[in-house]
Amino acid sequence: MRDRMVRGIGLALTLGYATFIAWLYVQQPQSAAEVTGGLSATIGSYRVDTAAFEDGMAFFRRDQFAAARIAFERADPAHQDPQVQFYVAYSYYRQGWGRFYQDDKLFAQGLEAVNRAMARAPDGRIRVDDPALQMRSGEELKAELEAGLRRDASDFNPARILRPRK
Amino acid sequence: MTATREAIALPLVFLTVTLFGGLRIADGVTLLPPPLFALVLSVLLIGLLVRCGALAPNRLVHTSRSMLANVNGVIVMLAAFLASAQAFNIATPESGAPRVVFNLVYLVLLANTIAASPDRPRALRSLLVIFGSAFIVKFVVLAALSHPAEGPLTRVLQVLFEGVTLGSVTQGIFHPATGYVAFGTLILYLFGLVLLPAADEERLNRTLVTRRTLT
Repeated sequence: MRDRMVRGIGLALTLGYATFIAWLYVQQPQSAAEVTGGLSATIGSYRVDTAAFEDGMAFFRRDQFAAARIAFERADPAHQDPQVQFYVAYSYYRQGWGRFYQDDKLFAQGLEAVNRAMARAPDGRIRVDDPALQMRSGEELKAELEAGLRRDASDFNPARILRPRK
Repeated sequence: MTATREAIALPLVFLTVTLFGGLRIADGVTLLPPPLFALVLSVLLIGLLVRCGALAPNRLVHTSRSMLANVNGVIVMLAAFLASAQAFNIATPESGAPRVVFNLVYLVLLANTIAASPDRPRALRSLLVIFGSAFIVKFVVLAALSHPAEGPLTRVLQVLFEGVTLGSVTQGIFHPATGYVAFGTLILYLFGLVLLPAADEERLNRTLVTRRTLT
């Protein structure tokens, strides 16, 4: 009887541990916060710190993008919330945007963040109802960031300097 | 073998090796799944363990055992297979000529050890030497060659070395913690191999005598 119980407990433990390892290899978390946040998101108990998110939005609207990202990081330390990650990506876009050139490093980080946002969103579809933004979907933002990173003949079009920041 | 060792200790040891065998710490943390060749080497290694008697599959899966016990046994074998693949993964350089050379050397050493049909202690000692040497070459020798030099003279020598080898020897730089984790993982893996249910000594001796008589 005791033997059966030990074997049953061992089986349950092993299956749980193996599932956790498989989850880690798929999710590739970068910090302990991402591990705990990811696990709580899996069971639907992950919550964003709304006060920190509001702080981040205030910085974002004042074009203080680095400060906004610090607040967003506090709001969503596990990088699990699609909306917060969308704003993180948008902050990289706006900070990296230039009339004459784009900052590729910031655009690449923005692309990484928007990919993360789309991966976390239900069906990969993310919509943000913010009248202050000209791009309100993950697809638009991703296309803009990818276009900024691409090298082609349109980069030499002088009319480019007239294009607006979105 | 006790139920605790078979159902709890062995799976947890091998799964931990599977987890940490792919861990690489640099700017960020990456978990690398085993490459295809590591799976091939793992099959060979399990074959070697069975042949030398370090792993007795019939003590893990047998018609005389209960269904639950057989499931535990299958899990031990699967976990040992994955852990072996990850042990090769962590002990192999990440890129370039050293990676190819290491893989070839593993293949030759395993094939040679299988052909030699050593007994359990000799096979385990042989594995200790294989993984120990690989660890030293990867995390001590190659890491020293790949680490950015501090003085100008050392830097010049390093650039010359990279030029001569066409950059095919130097490796990506990992955080020192990766080496410590790798060391612990390999030790844990070898400990797991020692814990595996071995073949019955008497039966094994009979097999060895029969083999010698035939040859």
